[in-house]
Amino acid sequence: MATRVLVVDDSGFFRRRVAEILNADSWLEVVGQAENGEEAVRLTAELKPDVITMDIEMPVMDGITATRQIMQRTPTPVIMFSSLTTDGAKATLDALEAGALDFLPKRFEDIARDRDEAKNLLCQRVRALGRKRMATPPTTTPASKPISTSSAAPAPAPAPRISKSGTLKLLAIGTSTGGPVALQQVLTNLPADFPLPIVLVQHMPATFTPAFARRLDQLCKINVKEAEDGDVLKPGWAYLAPGGKQMLLQGRGSQPSLQIIDADESQTYKPSVDITFDSISKVYPGETLAVVLTGMGADGRDGARTLKQKGSTIWAQDEASSVVYGMPAAVAEAGLTEQILNLTDIGPSIVKRVM
Amino acid sequence: MDDELLQDFLVEAGEILEQLNSQLISLEQAPDDKDLLNAVFRGFHTIKGGAGFLSIDPMVALCHRTEDIFNLLRNGERHVTQDLMDTVLPVLDVLNDQFERLQSGDELDAADPALLRALEHYTTPGDGPAPAATPSAEPKPEAVAAAGNEDITDEEFEALLDALDKPGGGSSDKPAATNNSDGDEINDDEFEALLDDLHGKGQFKGAPPADNTEDKPAAASGSNEPEEPISQDEFEALLDDLHGKGQFKGAPADAGQSTTPPAASGAGGAGGGGGSPSAAPAPEPEEPQSAAAMVAKAAAGNKERPAGETSVRVDTARLDEIMNMVGELVLVRNRISRLGEHAGDEELSKAVANLDLVTSDLQLSVMKTRMQPIKKVFGRFPRVVRDMARSLEKEINLEMIGEDTDLDKNLVEALADPLVHLVRNSVDHGIEMPDVREAAGKHREGTVALTASQEGDHILLVIEDDGGGMDPDKLRQKAVEKGVMDADAAARLDDNECFNLIFAPGFSTKDQISDISGRGVGMDVVKTKITQLNGSIEIDSAPGKGTRLSIKVPLTLAIMSTLMVRLKDQLFALPLVNVSEIFHLDLTKTNVMDGQQVIIVREKTLPLFYLKRWLIKGEANTPLPSEGHVVIVHMGNQKIGFVVDELIGQEEVVIKPLGALLQGIPGLAGATITGDGGIAIILDVPGLMKMYT
Repeated sequence: MATRVLVVDDSGFFRRRVAEILNADSWLEVVGQAENGEEAVRLTAELKPDVITMDIEMPVMDGITATRQIMQRTPTPVIMFSSLTTDGAKATLDALEAGALDFLPKRFEDIARDRDEAKNLLCQRVRALGRKRMATPPTTTPASKPISTSSAAPAPAPAPRISKSGTLKLLAIGTSTGGPVALQQVLTNLPADFPLPIVLVQHMPATFTPAFARRLDQLCKINVKEAEDGDVLKPGWAYLAPGGKQMLLQGRGSQPSLQIIDADESQTYKPSVDITFDSISKVYPGETLAVVLTGMGADGRDGARTLKQKGSTIWAQDEASSVVYGMPAAVAEAGLTEQILNLTDIGPSIVKRVM
Repeated sequence: MDDELLQDFLVEAGEILEQLNSQLISLEQAPDDKDLLNAVFRGFHTIKGGAGFLSIDPMVALCHRTEDIFNLLRNGERHVTQDLMDTVLPVLDVLNDQFERLQSGDELDAADPALLRALEHYTTPGDGPAPAATPSAEPKPEAVAAAGNEDITDEEFEALLDALDKPGGGSSDKPAATNNSDGDEINDDEFEALLDDLHGKGQFKGAPPADNTEDKPAAASGSNEPEEPISQDEFEALLDDLHGKGQFKGAPADAGQSTTPPAASGAGGAGGGGGSPSAAPAPEPEEPQSAAAMVAKAAAGNKERPAGETSVRVDTARLDEIMNMVGELVLVRNRISRLGEHAGDEELSKAVANLDLVTSDLQLSVMKTRMQPIKKVFGRFPRVVRDMARSLEKEINLEMIGEDTDLDKNLVEALADPLVHLVRNSVDHGIEMPDVREAAGKHREGTVALTASQEGDHILLVIEDDGGGMDPDKLRQKAVEKGVMDADAAARLDDNECFNLIFAPGFSTKDQISDISGRGVGMDVVKTKITQLNGSIEIDSAPGKGTRLSIKVPLTLAIMSTLMVRLKDQLFALPLVNVSEIFHLDLTKTNVMDGQQVIIVREKTLPLFYLKRWLIKGEANTPLPSEGHVVIVHMGNQKIGFVVDELIGQEEVVIKPLGALLQGIPGLAGATITGDGGIAIILDVPGLMKMYT
């Protein structure tokens, strides 16, 4: 079965373009189009699409409200189209909070080198979400399962040799699609006196990371900021890698600092989890807890391998709770993980391990 | 660029631009209307989206900045002021212009940097020259405070600081302000702007006034359905193939732990959010309570399927073709019904009656496909009136009635210019200055009313103002001064004839020529244009009370109702729009005045002419019959009588252009094929009168 898609946008022109692009992909089929949020909510119930592409600005009912209602009534993966502006970032984060799983800039060129790549990317992202089955929102935290072995991947790595609580110096988290919500879920579990500094790498455009850092900062007990060049790591602070750049950890010993460098044209991910992890392995070779959360692709695998080789601990999010089980799967299948955890358990487990 | 995509975009953009036109004007009346602000924001947003998709960068640049302004407006961070509107309205003109260029396949120039800068100026907080009229003209402290929260970027903040440092802060027209209040990048446009500035003043003020809202056929609002690139069967087969390979692992076991419900986690997080002042603000819930009208509209749309699937785009040339063929059909119908009458066969008569009915319906339906609401033209008036009132410092209220009246697309287009001219005239010459009005005991605010209504197979358009009206004596005097006629002739004119003087070529009563409503060439051009449309224009005025202009045009240009008459053995068609009455007359009871034969009809003296003498070869001096049929025709307020040999009756005719040989002969409008297969010349009454009297 092809992934059935509902396209929501108040612009007929845009709807038709998106539908054309999606329909050109044999794995995707546009089953309906809605021109405002209200219609989207109705058609979602009626057509039961596998994925919804949603515009934010619409008459009658905006995309955020619509997403929220859809999540309440007929949970369906939603991918938002947003503009890459400061306000767009805010709206997009609101949409993610309302339950949208992913977002794409409305101007595809902004994320791709050319039109074809942009089209591919759109289809890829929609297909990825199409594989996701939404469960009805859990009302309470289900019985926790410390280790979920949901994938057929090689058995988790044996217990760590070096890392013991107390010897850890850094928490590093890398994620992509679904990451904003996942990060929020994990970080809000950490107490204000969390003893380690935290570096966060979330694939996100440059205009979004400042707003996202601010939002996390508001929601979390720990402090969160967008990383700036020269920031010295402090415990209880999380540093979010700025979009469009690369974040490196440099220096040795007690006062390592962050270095922000321009991304290379050829790099697929800006920021890249691999690059950050790799730099970490030089500073805190065996004293890092690295967690790879939901996301498409395999960014983080190589960095995690390096970290692992030097004695650090790698965790990954499990398939059931991942929006896209790509990055965590890559790490798990490479046999690098000590634990594969459900999203709801990651925060508490970190706290248990570290404190 | 893909033409199909471009057309698709243009159809949508055209509609949005039209809406924006009226929305922006309404906004001035209701500056705090949230729904309206949202709608305007979305309008620019949507155009930007489409233009972005097609990489039409100049359009994106403009829309983007305007969208930003409206984002501030709808968030209440800025308020609508006249100055702001004066900056935003030209954007619409430029967009319209870009739109037209795209439509005609031209390349776009980069957006005017001066305009872009003027727009950016409004998105920079804390700018100095915010008009004093604004109650909340972003005081600086507020802006600084805003810097702390998430709605202001670093760049903006820097710009703000720059603005504060600068004396006369933020007058973004100064070169200094151009460059780099916002940071590291200067693009070509900005650089050019800078050069412009250094060389002299920006050209922004010179931006051309609104020109035209594009007239797109209603039918064109449709869309193309996305095509199925692969047949259903093939697709199924493909799926089956792939399925075997386990491409889909099936739904992951529902472990009861889906992605965390964001709402829940959001709330939880907010609860614990230590020192942070505010939790993530809930998205504004305004949208759902949008204007009832909007909801209703959407609901109406929902009843059917999405709008895209119910209409198709048709080239207007094709519609013209269909209309032409229907015209031919009408001719054949006429012919057959004529034959049927003669045959006296009952069956045939029935069939003919049926044909008659079907043809009429078909004709009507085809005509309807070409119909557009007069709104297309009316829509631009609020803007026209607003801009003029602003520049003339008059206070004017524009009323529009019957905007939904439909008429032929070609007519809508053809009427646009004359109507704009007349409205401008009313505003410029009709409505007095507020003080003058007050002194005359009238409301300071003048009213210009535009009314459209259908009357049978005609459309009546009325432009009425409650201004100063026209003084017949002044017009007489002027006519003499201008050498249009001598004093005696002028004195003999009745008031109504005086008013019609304004349609005379080269007649302008305003002592000072204003660049707003033409230079005295206008009214006769208007008249000619209306006449070309087989329409008529009438004027009535009362000094101190106002002026009323009524225009009558047929519903369509392709088919015309005529009165068929015979002169000797030839048929002629007189457009019914010009015919007032017909009667039988004892021609011996005529009088001669000033060497002109006249008749007296209801105590009015009308000149009488023998059409045969004008139009039939060798009949120029034929003796007059003792009695004959008289057709009273009129144009404007002028009436004359034509003597004809026989009245055939009323007939719908299809206008065919005359062959090259006859082209350009005054008095002939075209030709048509009559019911009996003959050819009839369609007369152009105003042309005839100009030629022979």
